[in-house]
Amino acid sequence: MPSAALAALVRLRRSNGWIWGTMLFSALISLTASFVLSVDAVVLAADPRAALACNINAVLSCGTVGTSWQASLFGFPNAFLGLAAEPVVITIAVASLGGVRFPRWFMLSAQVVYTLGVVFAYWLFFQSYFVIGALCPWCLLVTLSTTLVFTSLTHVNIRDGNLYLPPRASAAARAFVDAGLDALLVTVWLMAVVTMVVVKYVPLMT
Amino acid sequence: MSNQKTPPTPSRGTRREELRRQQEAASARAGRLARATWIVGLAVIAVMAGIMVWAFTRPADPGAAAPGALVAPAGATDAGAVVVGQESAPVTVTIYADFMCPYCGQFERANGGDLAAAVSAGTAKLELHAMSFLDNASSGTRYSTRAANAFATVANADPAAAMAFYRLLFEQQPAENTPGLTDAQLTDLARQAGATEAVTASFAEGTYQPWIAQVTQKAWDSGVKGTPTVLINGQTFTGDPYTAGPLAAAIAQAAGA
Repeated sequence: MPSAALAALVRLRRSNGWIWGTMLFSALISLTASFVLSVDAVVLAADPRAALACNINAVLSCGTVGTSWQASLFGFPNAFLGLAAEPVVITIAVASLGGVRFPRWFMLSAQVVYTLGVVFAYWLFFQSYFVIGALCPWCLLVTLSTTLVFTSLTHVNIRDGNLYLPPRASAAARAFVDAGLDALLVTVWLMAVVTMVVVKYVPLMT
Repeated sequence: MSNQKTPPTPSRGTRREELRRQQEAASARAGRLARATWIVGLAVIAVMAGIMVWAFTRPADPGAAAPGALVAPAGATDAGAVVVGQESAPVTVTIYADFMCPYCGQFERANGGDLAAAVSAGTAKLELHAMSFLDNASSGTRYSTRAANAFATVANADPAAAMAFYRLLFEQQPAENTPGLTDAQLTDLARQAGATEAVTASFAEGTYQPWIAQVTQKAWDSGVKGTPTVLINGQTFTGDPYTAGPLAAAIAQAAGA
């Protein structure tokens, strides 16, 4: 019965294991990508001339993402932020999988900080897509996994009422999540990002 | 009138029922809305999946390399270099470059004079590998291939003009992500460099395009990672390529050794 399978799927998606597991998995990917990008940044800093060439990976232009001013907006490589933030998310996910319930104010703070991170990730994505014009696969991975961490965190915080929303907004948000619309939204969103990248870069690589 | 002012008070039972009906209607409305949203969302996902399939499978654009017979310009090396200068010159400077690569332009503008001087003094000969990997950076006109083909055409028929043409191509280098120079502009530069009209007339035929593609592949295969890559007597030049001086000094040193 498809409806039984559907019900099982909905139950799985709403389970704590799935939600925190998704968050853990995505945060691990983000951390790995941040690590790779940080190493790249350090290598680049040691030998700035390494970047002053048109290399084999030039997809669209010889300007690389790593040497752009956007890549170290705060005076140090952006990837360092990921190295600092993702372990916190990993800790939250692992502790929650182990049954820990964090206070509301704690989860709200996590939501606020991570929201800023997501905004920053998308600003970077649009800069590299439209301004720098070079594809950075590890950066793209950070964009996608950051989105997944953000949506699982938001899902939990809406479900557990951690966001201090007014009652009506809270009810609406919960109805939205209960209908599974957050999953739909994030799927559409990630597909849109991937489609943008595919449409722009695939013709250039063939 | 008076009826409206004092509506009949419903009994407790009907009121509860009314409330329940309202709630049911509201949740049915919400359910319908959620279902509609799901349908729209899934449709959007399907459309995007279709766009991706299209992006992966659409035929290569007609401007892409027409596979033709592989023709190498006269005097080219097996590795794919056009040789400029006297065979007896003690120093060989090998340069891998793409005419669209801005760093190659910087390199050429910094060292072109010194290289030309070393060639005419008989100190050095140049092995010029013209690559085409930045074809995507010219708004679809495949400037790297067109320019490299023009260069190979001149090197084949008017070798004396090759060096001057090579330098002009970098002097007049177009910016990345622009259509680049037109075939007519390439012709003008070649004429300035001393090529004959009979030679420039064949630019549009793209005789050496398959060879250029092969040169590019051979460069990657030989371990070249980017452009410009410069070798002096087979040794990678590690000095500063973007200021005049270090390269000339390295050539002089190699000549003296």
